[in-house]
Amino acid sequence: MADTQQDQVPVTVLTGYLGAGKTTLLNRILSEEHGKKYAVVINEFGELGVDNDLVVDTDEEVFEMNNGCICCTVRGDLIRIVGGLMKRRDKFDGIIIETTGLANPAPVAQTFFVDEDVKARTRLDAIVTVVDAKHLPARLADSAEAAEQIAFADVIILNKMDLVTPEEAAEVERLIRQINRFAVIHRTERASLPIADVLDQGAFDLQRVLESHPDFLGDDEHEHNEDVSSMSFEVDRPLDPERFNAWIGDLLAQKGQDLLRTKGILSYEGDDRRFAFQAVHMIADGDFIGPWKGEERKSRIVFIGRNLNRPQLRRGFEACQAS
Amino acid sequence: MSATTAKPDFILDERGVTQNLDAFVVAAAFDRTSSRACFALGDGTIRLVDMANRTEWRTLEAHGGAILALAPDVIPGGFVTGGDDGKFRRISADGTVSTIFDAGSRWVEHVATWPGERGKGLLACAVGKLVHLFDDAGKKLKTLEHPSSVTGLVFDAKGKRVAASHYNGASLWFVAAKTDSPRKLEWKGSHICIAMSPDGDSVMTSMQENALHGWRLSDNQHMRMSGYPGKTTSLSFTKGGKWLATSGSDAIVIWPFTGGGPMGKAPTELAGGDDITCTVCLAHPIQEAIAGGFADGVVVLADVQSGRILPIAAPGRGPMSALAWSPDGVHLAFGSETGFVGLVDFTKRS
Repeated sequence: MADTQQDQVPVTVLTGYLGAGKTTLLNRILSEEHGKKYAVVINEFGELGVDNDLVVDTDEEVFEMNNGCICCTVRGDLIRIVGGLMKRRDKFDGIIIETTGLANPAPVAQTFFVDEDVKARTRLDAIVTVVDAKHLPARLADSAEAAEQIAFADVIILNKMDLVTPEEAAEVERLIRQINRFAVIHRTERASLPIADVLDQGAFDLQRVLESHPDFLGDDEHEHNEDVSSMSFEVDRPLDPERFNAWIGDLLAQKGQDLLRTKGILSYEGDDRRFAFQAVHMIADGDFIGPWKGEERKSRIVFIGRNLNRPQLRRGFEACQAS
Repeated sequence: MSATTAKPDFILDERGVTQNLDAFVVAAAFDRTSSRACFALGDGTIRLVDMANRTEWRTLEAHGGAILALAPDVIPGGFVTGGDDGKFRRISADGTVSTIFDAGSRWVEHVATWPGERGKGLLACAVGKLVHLFDDAGKKLKTLEHPSSVTGLVFDAKGKRVAASHYNGASLWFVAAKTDSPRKLEWKGSHICIAMSPDGDSVMTSMQENALHGWRLSDNQHMRMSGYPGKTTSLSFTKGGKWLATSGSDAIVIWPFTGGGPMGKAPTELAGGDDITCTVCLAHPIQEAIAGGFADGVVVLADVQSGRILPIAAPGRGPMSALAWSPDGVHLAFGSETGFVGLVDFTKRS
């Protein structure tokens, strides 16, 4: 596999409950001077205050793939829209996809793994979830989607910080960390933050996450098996690609329903390039992303999902090391 | 396809004209009288060329965004287009651009036309789940609603019915029906393009899962053809309906529609062997021959009976994205994703 990321259009998926501040963020992205142009795919036309010929209005059309994967759903409208946008590829630098408030992020993420044309021409840069700091605890209590949107996120924008006390802020951040310890969290008011913190994150490159979160691999004190939680593992010796593929393939096939996201940076035996692996439920994808540079050659993997069995996952990952 | 002749551009040099247009060629078409070619581009322009003078190319700004669909107008010399600016437009013979329908913020993704006698022609465009039908003056006749977004749109050969593909199948509508309810052709999954056989008995679609599906209307038989390594985005019946030509494999794959086929029959592969994907194909309007465009930029003409291949364009000018035959079968137009276009004149020379 070649290092093809450069030619592919970066795609940012923007999720979050109605009223969390997605539209405010989109308006900022479209109106601020940042020297780049983004094609924006939205569901409710007219909410945006900015007139832009690159805004695309769509209906979310989720359908099941007939590929034997019971939970494999994709967004058919996005397949068509990405195909259409490629006809004027030179007019924009990236694509931003807004999902409706109640949407499960899995179908949109899976679209970028499953459709061969979309996969060839785009790369999922990051899933960004906008969260209302004041109302998140209530949302988490009354809906499964709120937890899933946090679980899927690479970047979380903790918005409306002006409406909460420091204690409430600490509590909401604790709740987020319980679900997803690996997302980058930005605290904002009126979704105000540098655009560079949202777009072009290369978020599945775990290296960046590690740089911003030195405690990334710290042990989780709070494990709630039925709730969504996150775990990570690290091994020193290079992996045997065949063993890893066999193990992860089996794991995703059996536990894919519970595994919302899986991400890894892997050191393969006999290859001096980093291998980036990621999966959404059962659908996996991987590619070499350039050489190891100076850093320790360790393989790291992250699981975000329900019913995670720490000892089992650790033993499985460790057994993938080349002997 | 390569190395079949020392000069792979021989036909192009001898009989063709080419241009580099520097934009994605979305579609090509000839007008009803075979006298004018049109290329629709991703930059919103169309390029018009009269066959009487192929060196003079005219550029018209047709849309504010990318053009997504093109068809010959029912009126000689003209064309209709759909764009991601939400406009369904008509380019008249004298080059006037007018708007037939404005879909606002929605894309006009597909267009189709049926010529008919004066006053009987039909125009159609697809916007999301809706297909809008117009008479040849551009007056809206009706709107047909589908369960999900329309992915392909085609009139039958007589202009009596219009068929649209979408998720979980296709819908077949009688154009002149007083009450509008379609014949529903159902099959689970995402259907991404559509074609109808010349006799109007077979409706074929291609699917997200690299397969074809079909319905034979006379006996409700389903057809299912698989084995494609990639998605089929071109479906084209030969003149008499004996063969269905398809893209999506490393050859032009043609399925026999005779003697009970395609069920239980193997397809024939034309112009294969180089491991390069056929991205677009189109049957000749009169003879049993298929034009094919490939991902490496090669264009060929394949004779169905003999399997002989006539190379037309050499590789290296971008994946082929558009093909059109003039109705009289004399001219072929082609275009690539990177903006290379050509016109070839197959007139018999004495």
